Amino acid sequence: MVDANTASHLIDIFAATILVTAFLIVSSRSLLFYVRLFALQSLLLGMVALLVVVGYGESHILIAAVLTILIKAIAIPVALNRIIKKIEVQKEIALSINIPLSLLICGALMIVASSVAEPILAAQHQTTQTVSRVLPSSIAMMLIGLFIMMTRKKGVTQIIGLLTMENGLFLSGLAITYGMPLIVEVGIFFDIMVAAMILGVFVFRINQTFETINIDELRSLRH
Amino acid sequence: MNLAIFFLVLGIPLTATICCIFIQRRWVFQATTITATALTAIAACILAVMVFVNTSVSAQGGFFYADALSAYVILIVTGSALVVAIYSVGYLDRQVSDGKIDPKILRLYFVLLNLFHSTMLLVLLSNNLGIMWIGIESTTLATAFLVAFYDRESSLEAAWKYVIISSVGITLALFGIILTYYSGLNAVHTSADALNWTTLMSVAQKLDPSILKLAFVFVLIGFGTKAGLAPMHTWKPDAYAEAPAPVTALMAAGLVNVALYAIIRFYILVNKSVGTTFAPTLLITFGLLSMAVALPFILVQKDVKRLLAYSSVEHVGIIAFALGLGTPLGYFGALLHMLNNAIVKLVMFLAVGNIRIAYNSKIIRRITGAIKIVPASATLLFIGMFALTGWPPFGLFVSELTIATAGFGSGNIFPTVLFLFLVAAVFVGLISYVSEMVFGEPPANARAGEPSVVSIIVLTGLLLISVVLGTAMPGTLFEFLQKIVMVLKG
Repeated sequence: MVDANTASHLIDIFAATILVTAFLIVSSRSLLFYVRLFALQSLLLGMVALLVVVGYGESHILIAAVLTILIKAIAIPVALNRIIKKIEVQKEIALSINIPLSLLICGALMIVASSVAEPILAAQHQTTQTVSRVLPSSIAMMLIGLFIMMTRKKGVTQIIGLLTMENGLFLSGLAITYGMPLIVEVGIFFDIMVAAMILGVFVFRINQTFETINIDELRSLRH
Repeated sequence: MNLAIFFLVLGIPLTATICCIFIQRRWVFQATTITATALTAIAACILAVMVFVNTSVSAQGGFFYADALSAYVILIVTGSALVVAIYSVGYLDRQVSDGKIDPKILRLYFVLLNLFHSTMLLVLLSNNLGIMWIGIESTTLATAFLVAFYDRESSLEAAWKYVIISSVGITLALFGIILTYYSGLNAVHTSADALNWTTLMSVAQKLDPSILKLAFVFVLIGFGTKAGLAPMHTWKPDAYAEAPAPVTALMAAGLVNVALYAIIRFYILVNKSVGTTFAPTLLITFGLLSMAVALPFILVQKDVKRLLAYSSVEHVGIIAFALGLGTPLGYFGALLHMLNNAIVKLVMFLAVGNIRIAYNSKIIRRITGAIKIVPASATLLFIGMFALTGWPPFGLFVSELTIATAGFGSGNIFPTVLFLFLVAAVFVGLISYVSEMVFGEPPANARAGEPSVVSIIVLTGLLLISVVLGTAMPGTLFEFLQKIVMVLKG
């Protein structure tokens, strides 16, 4: 078994890698690469959850950890891959903010994240909870996910941005509360999965009517 | 007994959802839906009586919980769902015979309508804030295909925007809930209860105030997105304009109040924990902002359903403003306004649905002389407009007057003057557009004759209830509202 000390070191490394995947998404234009990065991100997230199980004995999060790996790291990426191949849209072409500037902004978002995390961690009564060190990274991921959604226009990218936000959220839950109670965690999971499916169907149908999945062209409904 | 009532309220619409999946005959799933919503409304009345007698009802170790506040919103939701179910049958039959809807997907509509109804009730019956979140996210998922029901370019666009914006909002709300859970864990030490609203209320003084403030900001932004508070309201005009009229009506009368309910639960908790200056200021600000943002779109508008969508943004703003006043009178006004607004929004959206069938359009300047084409629906729309803008003898007059009195009474002189100005300005926009639609010469392509007599009877009944609420409010309702005010005071 892994003791709490080793687990906490591994969690730090994994959390840092998760944040790197979010940055890599921002640095690329290829939709397929986004999906692979998201799969890797979710796999690492599942590992973090497993480490919380074995290192800290929080067995209630086991199901959520397994679901993260099965659904977010395998099922959703496979489905998104199929959608990308079917709709034959592979790249983000027109970015509203170019890649170097985007990376710079995401760097700034990390500073914002740690300043948000500070007062939250200061409220902690027990000092034993070493997992909470990853809270700044998890908030940074939520912000980067939101940033991706605001600056990239393809439907698939928007879904990736939303799922990145959700991953950040799951990590923040692990960080400060060791995850929510089982029934809540499973319910949240189910909802996210259905949301991703519905959005996938919409990307498909919008593609049929518009010939392209550029959210920018969805503008007939102003006012 | 307690568990049974929760199972009835939640289980009947859920059972109807499952039944509708398997029923092939059109009239059977239509009848199932109407019966189920009627039975749910009866169960909701029983629950309301139980709450009236016992203050609160809970079951399954506090997993399910209902007090006067939940029972009140449940009554509004189930009542609206009943009206919408009755209306849907005639409306969709008509659209099928007009060739607007493929008869094969008619069943999907009723499945999703029942599912939508159950998800709203899940929010209102759970004590656990996490389950409440799951319920609210499920309302988005249940309505996604209803918004995209006509499968046009514009409705797909609206549904996409709706799901994306709501999901982002609700993600932020979940972060707020995680923060609340975190502060709860520090105070309770048993993880199973730390998400229960009642448990959190009992340890409210021990919760960390700075965390709870941060949590409330996230929850308000998140659930405010679902309620349609500005500036997170941008999905609302699109989704309301594109969804079938009865779905829009249920979103405006039911879903809005469900999202407000979730905000109110957190509002009570935060007020008890951090004192009554922080959260009320936020609600007054967002409330007035929503009213102000909606105004220009009401004054210059081409589409009647978008006009009503912005009116919905305005009224959510009114309710948020009234809640933010923080006085018992303000709470009373806010609660009364939730009911009044729901009733009149049903009348307006459903009357517009009838008019739309006759004109095959929702563009205001193409709809003229409705009084000659669909006299009853046009009359309902015209009278409903006065009810919506707060004229006596309708209920909204009483609730808006109560809110204004509470505003001056609580010393918020400038915000209340602004509130009254915005309410008056909205009236100018609505009367000009509604008059344009009701009077004048009808175009040649309009089909004369009311599409549904049943709907006229139901909508007239609703307007009469609004008149009763505006002239002689029943004593029982008054007492019930006072009980809810007690809940809001913590």
